[in-house]
Amino acid sequence: MGRFIAIRVLQLPLILAVIYLLTFVLVWVAPGDPFTRTDKKIDPVVIESMKKKMHAESWRSFLAHYPVQMIKGDFGASLTYDDVSVTDIIRAGLPVSVSLGLLAMVIAVYAGVCIGTLAAVSRGGLFDWFSLSVALIGISLPSFVIGSALFALFCGTLHWFPIGSWGSFSAMVLPGLALSLTPMAYIARLTRVSMIDMLSSDFIRTARAKGLSRATVIWKHGLKNAVLPVISFLGPASAATLTGSFIVEKVFNIPGLGQHFVNSVLNRDQTLILGTVMVYSIFLLTFNLIVDVAYAFVDPRIDVTAKQ
Amino acid sequence: MLRLAVIPIALILLLAGAMVWSGGGTQQRADFSYIDRGEVSTLDPNRMSWTQDIRVGYALWEGLYTLDPVTLDAIPGCAFPIDISADKTVYTFHIRPEARWSNGKPVVASNFIFAWRRMLEEPGDYTYLLHYIKGAKEFEDAFAADEPGKPADFSKVEAIEVNPQTLRVTLLHPVAFFPDICAFPPCFPLNRESMQEYLDVPTVKKSGAIHENYKKTFTRAGALVTNGAYMLKDWQFRRRMRFEANPYYWDRANVKSKVIDKISSDDLSWSYEMFASGGVDWITDLSGDTASELFARHDPDLHVFPAFGTYFYSFNCNEKLNDGKPNPFFDVRVRQAFTLAVNKQTIVDITRLGELPSDNYIPLGAFTGYPAPHGLSMDVARAQRLLAAAGYPGGKGFPQTSLLFNNEANHAQIAQSVRNQWLENLGIDVRLEGMEIKVYRDKLHTKDYAVGRASWFGDYNDPSTFTDKYKKDSGNNDSNWLNDKYQSLCEKADVEPDAMKRLAIFAQAEKVLLDEAPILPLFTYVNAYVFRDRQVKGLPLNIRSMEMYKSIQVVR
Repeated sequence: MGRFIAIRVLQLPLILAVIYLLTFVLVWVAPGDPFTRTDKKIDPVVIESMKKKMHAESWRSFLAHYPVQMIKGDFGASLTYDDVSVTDIIRAGLPVSVSLGLLAMVIAVYAGVCIGTLAAVSRGGLFDWFSLSVALIGISLPSFVIGSALFALFCGTLHWFPIGSWGSFSAMVLPGLALSLTPMAYIARLTRVSMIDMLSSDFIRTARAKGLSRATVIWKHGLKNAVLPVISFLGPASAATLTGSFIVEKVFNIPGLGQHFVNSVLNRDQTLILGTVMVYSIFLLTFNLIVDVAYAFVDPRIDVTAKQ
Repeated sequence: MLRLAVIPIALILLLAGAMVWSGGGTQQRADFSYIDRGEVSTLDPNRMSWTQDIRVGYALWEGLYTLDPVTLDAIPGCAFPIDISADKTVYTFHIRPEARWSNGKPVVASNFIFAWRRMLEEPGDYTYLLHYIKGAKEFEDAFAADEPGKPADFSKVEAIEVNPQTLRVTLLHPVAFFPDICAFPPCFPLNRESMQEYLDVPTVKKSGAIHENYKKTFTRAGALVTNGAYMLKDWQFRRRMRFEANPYYWDRANVKSKVIDKISSDDLSWSYEMFASGGVDWITDLSGDTASELFARHDPDLHVFPAFGTYFYSFNCNEKLNDGKPNPFFDVRVRQAFTLAVNKQTIVDITRLGELPSDNYIPLGAFTGYPAPHGLSMDVARAQRLLAAAGYPGGKGFPQTSLLFNNEANHAQIAQSVRNQWLENLGIDVRLEGMEIKVYRDKLHTKDYAVGRASWFGDYNDPSTFTDKYKKDSGNNDSNWLNDKYQSLCEKADVEPDAMKRLAIFAQAEKVLLDEAPILPLFTYVNAYVFRDRQVKGLPLNIRSMEMYKSIQVVR
């Protein structure tokens, strides 16, 4: 196991380097001048001076300089926000997105697994239909509709939650809920399908036959096995949720990382694009690794180190 | 059982930890709070270019001149008296002995010289405004060229410290709006002593010149020393900025609101809800939908007034297009025909915020006493005659042409309306080409287009802030329209000392531009502020949409 983790950790820099290069190429060939910010064109002398400061006179000088800087933990200067570095931007935004994402994932996992299990148990029944509709809504309604609807209803009309800046738990509830809906729906569907499989398997029948209660069989024996596909889904889902959502953060005006993913591209803020992509990639790779390790813990029969 | 509890408890602890890590907490409500779009781009006055930055610039700093809170005319700021030579080229600024930085130190002439030199060595969007000072452009160019053995010589720049309290500036020629330039944030002073802590590794140039670099952190709360009515108390990135009255400011008796909050918001709908719930006192922008809804129901909190900018279409006036094909808009008659064939009322019916349909380039009413010329109003019969004379009767034989616009706001709807009018009135069907803003700007600046959407907002209180765009040496002449008569009129106005005569010359120049039609003006923009009249006092509705926060007071 230790060896498996070590190999995977050693692979990280290689994968990150590939992602970095690909992003760099896309960023560099995209049309549009990152140095012109308003409709007004600026003096070429000014542009040259800014390029020199950013080591962006040519792609070679940029590539020669930037990765070295990044390894040292310095993501360089942002072109959108002059006074702060990309590291500052990530440092300010990431904790916010992670808190919100954690809340959303907690809601998604608990609610999703419960709904999925209950739906499987009452297969074809009323609750199953209910769970199916929740899942359908969660998967098909885009978060800007859900987010805006929640915002308009609970903040605007009913005034149940404050319209305020980030900082209190009450300001997190609605965005957390909006963000949780999609992963919750997926988790509910995954749990339901695999739980239905489990419930008709031999060991469940045996457990029931030896006199265990229905609840113990379902929640202890069934769920433990049914939850495996959910765990594999959790890797990429957590990476996406914890690094922030553009839409939910925009609707609720949350100073997280989500908006930078889109705005940095629109602004051609090359260093910020590279910075956010790297953060996202690190999250994604780390969570996938955690998921692989978690498999082994949840189901000791799975040998992640086995060669194919 | 214990195992069952471990996971939820761990998750709750993790969540609590993450919340603490992400910071937050609430603070007492400020005397005046507002939302002006998202986060500022910079608090380094030398680098400011966005409106939200410039507004903050006026709160934190004060130039040699400042702006009158109501009229926005340039009035003496931290210098008084100011002696101007008879030929209006030499300004001698006597800095007020009571003018102080927020650390209590006196404001001196060298503060300005330091800031200006830094800006010339490390130029930004508005550095060109200093080029009116003798020797400034030469210094900037020499510093940038960086030829070995030829270090740029700052002593040739005629901004001279006569004594610590006196600064003498010599201009190339009389510049009627030089006081306005002095009152513009990029020309504000910097306190070098307080910045020493943030010195970075200096750049040694090939020419032997040494440039002082400062870490960006010198603009953080606690580090930034300013000389205006306010100082920066707290800055939570993309959340909030708090300004507190500068206790050393010379005019502190007239600072109405002692604490001001600037709330950062990237979403205009959220901003409006924040205002509606009483969370902020003023919002500077509205989303198009909210604005037209409030406008339609005559909401008393909505304040719509003309803006310092024009929305227009730009024609490429080059003989050939970038792909080598002949450009029909090279012919003035074609440009005039396209201009005469558009009914501008239909356009402002799309924007629905009381924008003013306009045949002019310089916004009407922008400059007191400016005799605005008449532009080309809609005249379909004349348009058809001109088009026929240019060789395209009824639009026959007109080459396939694209109309370029960026996808934001309602530019697509406007383009659709204009296209329909050209099709109906001229028989020419142009292709609509919407694109992302950065790509669109690139195409406009490289003249890789035939007709394109454009706009221009003025920066300072002088018609040249508009007319300069179409001068021969302008980097912003996206039409590449070069006209000798226009050029000589602009040059004449530049050196004309009499204010009224100058305005008349600018009007003649604008007339030439409108008749030659390198642009098709559509409407004058409007500003839409939202605030409660009964509560917020001292917030002027000025066409230049700038505010001196010290005069704003909120009565709750």
